[in-house]
Amino acid sequence: MMALVRSEFRKVTTTKVLLWLTIATVTFSALNVVLLVFLTPRAMDVSTDVNFLLDPAYVTNILGAAGSSSIFILILGIIGMTGEYRHMTITSTFLVTPKRPRVLIAKGMAYALLGATLGLIAFASSFVVTLIALSREAHAPVDATIAIQILVGVVLAFAIYAFVGVSVGALIRIQVAAVVGALVWVLIVEALITVFVDWIGKWLPGGALDAVLQTTNVTGRGGEDILPTAAGVIVLIGYAVLFGTLASLTTLRRDIT
Amino acid sequence: MSPQGQLLTVTSLTKAFGKVQAISDLSFQVQPGRVTGFLGPNGSGKTTTLRCLLGLVQPTSGSARVGEHDYRELSHPATVVGAALEASGFHPGRTARGHLQVITDAAALPAARADEVLALVGLTEAAGRKVGGFSLGMRQRLALAAALVGDPGVLILDEPANGLDPEGIAWLRSFLRARAQEGRTVLVSSHVLSEVQQTVDDVVIISKGRLVQTGTLDELTGTGISKVRVRTPNAEVLRLALTAVTNDGVETRVEIVSDNEILVVGIETAQIGHIALREQVELHELTPVGNDLEALFLELTAGGNPGGAA
Repeated sequence: MMALVRSEFRKVTTTKVLLWLTIATVTFSALNVVLLVFLTPRAMDVSTDVNFLLDPAYVTNILGAAGSSSIFILILGIIGMTGEYRHMTITSTFLVTPKRPRVLIAKGMAYALLGATLGLIAFASSFVVTLIALSREAHAPVDATIAIQILVGVVLAFAIYAFVGVSVGALIRIQVAAVVGALVWVLIVEALITVFVDWIGKWLPGGALDAVLQTTNVTGRGGEDILPTAAGVIVLIGYAVLFGTLASLTTLRRDIT
Repeated sequence: MSPQGQLLTVTSLTKAFGKVQAISDLSFQVQPGRVTGFLGPNGSGKTTTLRCLLGLVQPTSGSARVGEHDYRELSHPATVVGAALEASGFHPGRTARGHLQVITDAAALPAARADEVLALVGLTEAAGRKVGGFSLGMRQRLALAAALVGDPGVLILDEPANGLDPEGIAWLRSFLRARAQEGRTVLVSSHVLSEVQQTVDDVVIISKGRLVQTGTLDELTGTGISKVRVRTPNAEVLRLALTAVTNDGVETRVEIVSDNEILVVGIETAQIGHIALREQVELHELTPVGNDLEALFLELTAGGNPGGAA
């Protein structure tokens, strides 16, 4: 299995997609920090006369912006799997490893490690940007314990979310359909369900992701609307396993012609 | 000591894609130590058969085995079977070396093996270049290199000569012959018999998913019906004289091609020349066209008439 995981790392490091998605992740996380520090509080100031930056919960939110780029991690996983079908490299992949579920598991593990690494990078960049941005403002202290909690959450969330992406890609093998489908689901469908039937929302992939991240800035959910972190981890892993198992029983078995 | 080849056994293989019957009750064997040509027109089911052998396509019924096993049961398939299918399975942004190292990693082979097989197929200088810029011929060589990484005893190559220049084809020919002489199994598909005629020992010919003929190339040559093309200004006179000939146990026949050309079946050139002299008929051409493998191949595979050849 380690040989297969190494092969998956080789696949992703010999193409450009990882580089672009790393840039996207870092940029988006940093941009969200800047948005939260400079734009939102000022805009609010006019009407409410409150300085959000003095609120510790708001500072926590700013650090949590690292998790806002999670969608890129999902797409990374999807592209990793669907790219094999798109470029027909799946032929040589299955020639070397004809027991196909092993490919899916190896890819999931490799991408979980990539996701964790990107989580670390995203947190590092948003943490640095937060410190720089806050340095010239009056603000509530940055709590080290909370920062570590967020770091662990982001790393864990990105790791599992990348695996979910791989499983989704195995289930929906057409790259454009899988990426667009995932975007529509995360940004529209799940957001709508969460607004109208919130007790379902917390059990959906995005809800579970928020539970792992334990931040509210992504979907605007409050503390009581989300699962405990541990439950979120289990539910999110459950989705990765569910989609992966479904794929193993259906699409992964199809003829490669 | 190079790895030994294995017997490939296709038994009652049948595959339908929806309503399209790609392969019907196909059975044949491929022997180690020989180069076998797997022949048939485009769309006759060659690629589907190979993909069944390689575990990429699930047969509707029947089996296609490598030695005693289904391909999917092999624990280290890259070291048993090397396959080069169509030349499109490359990520365009990956280098030739990168493409091969993805395979060496997955097969738990040393990464240095990538450069070795690139040298073997003459791609050393292109090792660091992206596959997206490769010509068809280079892609074919890279696909062959990928088949060779595990030094397998069985080589299965789908139309490997496509896109190769004459020099490349000659190289491929001697390369495959050498592999077979080492005792390996070499199965090469083609839709042009003349392309592999000088390379193969055995042939398996299919048409519309059914077996048409299998055996050695020599046996196939033997089944060819010899014809002689005769051009003469006195075609009608010669035709009458030749029609009168009766050769023991051989069907003789004269076909009129045009006013001054006939095709003679079942009579040797010497005998035709002799009769022409006797009849005082002027000859402009006397050419044996029989045993033309390409014509035979077309005849065998035309119209999907598997009953036509036994």
